[in-house]
Amino acid sequence: MRALLFLIRKNLKNIIKLAFKRPMALIGYIIALIFLVLMIVAAFAMPSGLVRTSSPELFRGIVMLVFAFFYYTSLKLGIEKGSSYFRMADVNLVFTSPLRPNQVLLYGFIRQLWGTMLFVFLALCQIPNLKNNFALQPYGVPMLLISVVAYTLSYPLISMVIYSWTSVKKERKMLMKRIFDAAAIAVALVFLLDLVRTRDFGQSLGNTFDSPVVHYFPVIGWTGSIASSAVYGFNAPFYVGAAGMLVLIIGLSLLIYRMKLDYYEDVMAATEYAEQIIKAKREGKNIAQFLKTRKNVHGSLSGEGAKALFAKNMLEIRKTSIFLFFDRMSVSVILSSIMFRLIMPSQELGGFSLLLILAMSSYMLLLFQVQGRWVAEAEKHFIYLVPASSYEKLFFATLSDHLKNLFDGIALFMLSGIFFNAGAPTILLCILTYVAFGAVYMYADVLSRRLFGSVHSKSLMIFVKIIFSVVLIVPGIIAAAFVGAITKSEFFTIGALGAWAFVLAITLFIFSGGIFNNLETAS
Amino acid sequence: MLKVRNLSKRFDKVQAVDNVSFEVEPGEIAVLLGPNGAGKTTTIKSIAGLLRFEGQILINSIKNKEVEAKRVFGYIPESPSFYENLTVWEHLEFIARAYSLRDWEDDAGRLLARFEMDDKKDKLGKELSKGMQQKLSICCALLIKPKMVMFDEPMIGLDPTAIKELKSIFVELKSSGCAVLISTHLIDSVDEVWDKVLIMNKGKIVLIRTRSELDSKGESLERIFFEVIGKKEEGEE
Repeated sequence: MRALLFLIRKNLKNIIKLAFKRPMALIGYIIALIFLVLMIVAAFAMPSGLVRTSSPELFRGIVMLVFAFFYYTSLKLGIEKGSSYFRMADVNLVFTSPLRPNQVLLYGFIRQLWGTMLFVFLALCQIPNLKNNFALQPYGVPMLLISVVAYTLSYPLISMVIYSWTSVKKERKMLMKRIFDAAAIAVALVFLLDLVRTRDFGQSLGNTFDSPVVHYFPVIGWTGSIASSAVYGFNAPFYVGAAGMLVLIIGLSLLIYRMKLDYYEDVMAATEYAEQIIKAKREGKNIAQFLKTRKNVHGSLSGEGAKALFAKNMLEIRKTSIFLFFDRMSVSVILSSIMFRLIMPSQELGGFSLLLILAMSSYMLLLFQVQGRWVAEAEKHFIYLVPASSYEKLFFATLSDHLKNLFDGIALFMLSGIFFNAGAPTILLCILTYVAFGAVYMYADVLSRRLFGSVHSKSLMIFVKIIFSVVLIVPGIIAAAFVGAITKSEFFTIGALGAWAFVLAITLFIFSGGIFNNLETAS
Repeated sequence: MLKVRNLSKRFDKVQAVDNVSFEVEPGEIAVLLGPNGAGKTTTIKSIAGLLRFEGQILINSIKNKEVEAKRVFGYIPESPSFYENLTVWEHLEFIARAYSLRDWEDDAGRLLARFEMDDKKDKLGKELSKGMQQKLSICCALLIKPKMVMFDEPMIGLDPTAIKELKSIFVELKSSGCAVLISTHLIDSVDEVWDKVLIMNKGKIVLIRTRSELDSKGESLERIFFEVIGKKEEGEE
């Protein structure tokens, strides 16, 4: 075990040493640390339930939905690929060394605890929002964080066990997938039936998860009950949930390293997959390349010169999307934006429903588009060799992304327009503004790569790109707020925002041209 | 030193390794030859204890997944991976700790010098080129002074000097009594050093020959390889 502790210690020490050697990285880490400290202070110090006090049932509904979604997606991936606390360096060096597998698993656990920090950080970011809307108990914040830790520790263990059972036979895989899907459909049906009755999204969300069966349901119910104690206090579901999760985590760990020492193979596929994802993220590549590719999609490429890039991107999209441009990103953006609007209390919004959806979807787009398709293009040599001007290449390499945003925008705002009785001009304006925002993020990404391309850490680069984009759109938000305050019109407010985004996108495009002149301008 | 008995490994519907048996004696260099997808890497990974399998694998008469078996074998994977934030020297220090080695520093220094890595001691894992990663992987495996060592496509990414050095290391390992198993599809790279050839195709070992058997018939490794692989394909047609 001393050898493994040596690994952890040295790793941490070298990360700190390395940060001090690179001033840019150090500044980034300091800003991130200040941000984290502020989030922690805000999470604990800010008063709770002052803005409004929504029902505890809604709180439980939200946390249960979030955990159900996370467990569903991570465990379904677990059926295919298992799960892993490890990296390929561990496979090659630790797994083959004379260290006992139980010690190796413990080492993996310690590493995973470090990994939970990211989830805890994301949870911390949501706490001010929750405190504004719900009356949390004095110990509410720690309880929420404990539930996040319980999730991050338990799902890899459950995935490992599921994978080791399903990897033997394809039928078992199918059976598990069907059980998961059936459970998800059942929950969705219960919710929809209740929605028909109440016609209130928030109330139905609360009702769906307001049953003893759900509170005590293994894993998802237990985790949700720990989180729900943040508003309900320490009640019976909390004690059952906390004990259940503790027994589950300890029990599965014991099962894996007492009953079945041979777990190395079970984590290999997931480790290789995770390694690819980490590598792609670090290199700033789009992880869409790891999505399932349909092999039966064929078609000859049309267009010559730079236009061939567009045709190639379209073919790639056809192979990975669900229908036309509709993919996982579309689902995430559309669902989260509409849900965000539905959860917000409607009396305080006046007639600005679509503006709120536009704001949420633009925020989601920023997170998704931060590693756009063009980055993968810049990593390969082909684009530099294409005999066309850099502007042409940049335009055609990004055109498919604009079309995708247009497609998502039409789907999102047509739906929400019908849902919230918005006028056609407002819907059209929202679609165009959404596309313009997509263009701003994309070309801000290109420009920041040209300006800060020498930043060594890719994670820091992503952070810089997000900050850069936010700084650029702030004047537009201020202008739109003024217009909104003066005219009291949603149409003109969105118009002001859209106009700013459009001008910004054109300007950024002009300044980011030249990126594909040669490899050095893109690296 | 290495005994593989009826080794089989199946991935879902693919029989990657099918009832394979062979032995590698101390001081013997065995070469696992075969085209891409023949099952070489799966065989090596099974021996390294990374995969579950059917059959039996003994290293130094101990089951390969036992800690005591792991203490005596070295493994150089096809794609080396290292801890990004650990230096070259710290990787070697980790290996020394994991294998409870004593007075390892001089050996580590000598190994790094042989592969012209002695000036790269303080380089981080993430700063290493593919070739340097391969060299460090070899250094890590040899630092433990293994009784059996497996190389999976060891020449890939190495420069000519390192290839020459590695070949002389094969010979040194052999003369020190170490059993060596090299998996490759580059026949030329092992032509000078091998003692026993195991040719794999479609998960099976289709031929086992010693160098003396081949020499007595005046056949070359390359010729016999294409003969065996070619015949198999013809037979299927």
